[in-house]
Formats: sequence, structure tokens, C-alpha cells
Amino acid sequence: MKGQLVNIFRFKLFIYTMLALPGLYMFYPILSHNPIFLADPAKYLLEYFGKTATLLFIFVLSLSPMRVIMPNFKIIASISRYRRMFGVSVFVYIVFHLIFYLIYEGIFSQIVENLKTPFILSGVFAFFILFILASTSTDWAVKQIGYSRWKCIHRLAYLAALLIFYHQALQEKNGIVQTIYFFAPLAILEFLRVGKYVLKKSFNKY
Amino acid sequence: MLINIKNNWELPESMVTSESVYRSRRTFLKSLGYGLGGIVFSPSYLNGANIGFSTELNPLYVLKELDLTPYNLITSYNNFFEFSTDKEGPKKLANKGWNSEPWMIEVRGLVRNPIKMDVNDLIKKIGGIEQRVYRMRCVEAWSMVIPWNGFPLSKLIKLVDPTADAKFVKFTSFIDPGQAPRQRRRNIHWPYVEGLTLSEAANELTFMGTGLYGRAMPNQNGAPIRLVVPWKYGFKSIKSIVKIDFVSKAPINTWQALQPREYGFFANVNPNVSHPRWSQATERIIGGGFFESRKETLMFNGYEKEVGHLYYGVDLRKFY
Ligand code: HEM
Repeated sequence: MKGQLVNIFRFKLFIYTMLALPGLYMFYPILSHNPIFLADPAKYLLEYFGKTATLLFIFVLSLSPMRVIMPNFKIIASISRYRRMFGVSVFVYIVFHLIFYLIYEGIFSQIVENLKTPFILSGVFAFFILFILASTSTDWAVKQIGYSRWKCIHRLAYLAALLIFYHQALQEKNGIVQTIYFFAPLAILEFLRVGKYVLKKSFNKY
Repeated sequence: MLINIKNNWELPESMVTSESVYRSRRTFLKSLGYGLGGIVFSPSYLNGANIGFSTELNPLYVLKELDLTPYNLITSYNNFFEFSTDKEGPKKLANKGWNSEPWMIEVRGLVRNPIKMDVNDLIKKIGGIEQRVYRMRCVEAWSMVIPWNGFPLSKLIKLVDPTADAKFVKFTSFIDPGQAPRQRRRNIHWPYVEGLTLSEAANELTFMGTGLYGRAMPNQNGAPIRLVVPWKYGFKSIKSIVKIDFVSKAPINTWQALQPREYGFFANVNPNVSHPRWSQATERIIGGGFFESRKETLMFNGYEKEVGHLYYGVDLRKFY
């Protein structure tokens, strides 16, 4: 029992470290004098954290379809236990995205002006959803709300995914290839999950 | 849409020697006090399409009050969609075997003396190159200050002698899907095309760049010869030109064809007309640092004196 606890603790530490790494990686372009970073540091980090948060978010959303499709895959089951922690780190990274956006834009009136564009608006809506999800992610909050209602609220994540897809796609200058690369794995996994569900149902009939 | 242009805007017959330009140049000169300090280029860098040509700094085009953008950033932070849509991509991918030398350039269409020759021969024929420091404002709301080498396009126009029917100049870039990976995708109709009205092309500011910082033009910046139109957004300054056509109708430039609501034919720098996704009222200064605040964007990128007269009576909101 004691040994098991230590293992879990190690695993947790491991996950914390993994989640912090993208944040620490932010210092790499600074130290390596990457000219793209030096050209416009705020813009570089704005884009970096937009991508990082989105990839992490897509990974979190992929966990439940992966669990359905591959129920015997142990690693996914263990990682899934820390799903809420992953979710909270998505929010932390998107806070960085927002901070660097504010530095990049710099001028208050311009920030207000930009709120009118569908591009920024979709980002802001997605941000609010992530905020709601992150702030209801403590054990205490889950207990207060009740698990079923909590689950219902957290379905908002799928709306956030759609908003982020839209936000990222709008930002691309030519086509939406990058956005499709980002979201394709999630789309495929959800498709397989639904496929499996439908198959199971039709088998159960007979 | 473009057909309307002629109705709304009479093309000035000749503007090269217009008096207002002449006068503004003189005041410009005076305010500079002929100061050339700061930039001295080492001739040892002269190679490629600058071979054997001395490049004196033209005292009319010095921006003393502004800091030059470092060479490293100008040649690393590039938009060159033939190679990559990332800023860092062109530097890597345009130097992996793509050959910008030797390079033939053809000037043809409604001209009396069409030419087709190597770029170096063309420079010789034009009578050499000079240096000019220009602001560069990208449509993505960032800006640089770049010391170009090259020659004014007006010299080339005199050489080929356009006929009275020539109203527009169409520039065409290279096509080489083997070396330019993005040209293998078909979401942009390659080759890249740009256009100017004849009077814009003949303006003293309009420049054919063959190098920067006294060195030959790096591949990722549009070697060996490119357009530089400093009062328009950067995408108008087409890179790696192979063909220049003098034509009677406005060509559809690549970005206008892709997104007509975002990018027009004129694409003059204009702080009053926003891009659908961001304001154009201010700009980020490349190399400015983390907390460097934005700078106000100037009408025609600060070249209103030199080019404002080209657009008298033109509704710049409609013709963005
Ligand atoms: C708080 C509100 C938000 C604002 C004001 C905002 C603003 C921006 C801006 C200005 C850009 C850069 C566009 C460009 O490079 O031209 C951007 C890009 C991006 N944003 Fe957001 N955003 C917000 C929320 C979000 C959220 C919640 C996500 C996802 C979790 C997200 C994901 C992205 C992604 C993936 C990119 C593309 C980065 C790249 O590939 O360069 N954003 N956002």
C-alpha cells in the first residue's frame, strides 16, 4: 500500500513536470537568440502559447474517446485520472496567451476596438468557457455541484473546441491546413467512439 | 470592381517631373542637412546582383531619425509564401539549392524597346545601383527600416519606353515547384503576381531592389531582383521578378485574388482603414523589444509628400 502511494506520487510529480515543460520551453528562444523571437517577442509568445494550449486541450479532449476505443490501454486510464489537472494547465497557458496578447496589442482603445471582430470574440468566448471549467475543477467544487451536474457543465468543453477551431482557422492567412492538422486526431477519435457505440448497439439488438 | 477605377480616378498623364514632387524633395533634403552619418557599407560585401557596382547612399533617401533594423532580423523574419508560411521558413528553404543566379528578366508588352537579359547586364545597362533607406510596413502591422540597394524603376521605364496605351505594370515572380515547396500546393495560383499603375511605377520612390545593407539580396528577401514600394503594404513589393509586362488593364494581384475583402489592388499604407481582423492605426517595430510600445502608422507610410498627389480624389476607403 505504501509503495503504491509513492508510485502515484511520483507519477503525479511526473505529470506536473510534463505540464510545466511547455511553459519552461518559452525561455529557450530567449536564451538561443532566435531571431524570430527577437523580431517581436510578444507576438512570438502569443502564438506559442496559443498553439501550446490548443494542443494540450485537444489532448485532454482525446482522452475519453481513447478510453472508450482502447479500454485495456493502462497508460490512458492512468493519465485520465489527472484529466482535470491537464484541463487547468490549458487554462494557465491560455492566460499566458491573453497576457502576451495584451502586451502585443498594447493600446487599450485598440484592444476594445478589436473585441468587435469575430476572430477575437471567438477567442474571448472560448477563454470564458475555459475559465468556468478550470474554476470548477477542484474536488471541492465537484462535490458542491454534484457529479452529474458537473459533467453537464463540462460538456461546454466541446463548444470551446468549436470556438477554438474557428479562432485558429480565422487566424491563418492562407487556407486552414494547420488548424486541420491540429484537430484531425480529435475528430478521428470522436468518429471512432461514435462508430463503436453504434456497432455495440446494433450487436445488442440481436 | 477594378473596371470602375478609371471612372473614379483619371490617371495623371505624366507625373515623373511633377513640380510638387520636385519641391518636396528639396525641402526633404534641407531637413536632412545632408547628414549621411551612421551607414558606411563595406565594398567587400558586393557580390551577386551587385557585382562590381559601387553603391553610394542616395542623400535624398536617408531616414536619419530612425534606427535601421538589424541585418539579422531583416534576413530572418520573412514572408515568402513560395517557400513557407512561417516567418522562419524562407531563410532555411530558399537556401537549400534554389538558384537565384544567373537570372533572366524580361520586360515586354506595350513598350517600344522590350528587353530580355541577365540581371547583372540589366544593372550595367541602367548605369549601376544606389542605396536608399526606406520604411517597410507589412500588412500584418509590423515595420522595419531597411537600407536597400538597387535602382529606381523609372530608369527602367525610360529604357523600355512604354507606348501611350500602357496604363499598368504587371510584375510576375518565378515558378519552380521543385525548389519552392509551397508551389506544390495549389491553394495559391502561382506564380505570384503584382501590379502598379504606370504613374505609381514611375514615381521616384518606386525602386528595384538588388541588395540590402550593401550585400547582394539574400534569397529569402527576393533575390536577385525585387520591387520595393515603400508607401504600400509589403506584399506589393513582389520578390524574385522574372517578368515585367506593360499592360492596358489592371492586373489582379495574387493577394487580391485570394482575399479581395482583405487585400486590394492599391494596398496603400493607411492607418484609417482596418484589416478585418486588426487595426492598421499602429504598428510593431521589428527588433523593438518586449515592451516597446506600438508606433502610430503614418498615412502612405510617411511618404504622403512624395505620393499623395497620385491619389487626389480617390476614395481610399473603397480602393484599399
Ligand atoms: C482571451 C481571448 C483571446 C484572445 C484575445 C486571443 C487572441 C489571439 C491573437 C491576437 C492571435 C494571433 C493571431 C495572429 O498571429 O495573427 C491568436 C492566435 C491563436 N490563438 Fe488566441 N486568443 C484568445 C483565446 C484563445 C483560446 C482560448 C485559445 C485556445 C485554447 C486560443 C488559441 C489560439 C491559437 C491556436 C492561435 C494560433 C497561433 C498560431 O498558430 O500562430 N486563443 N489569438
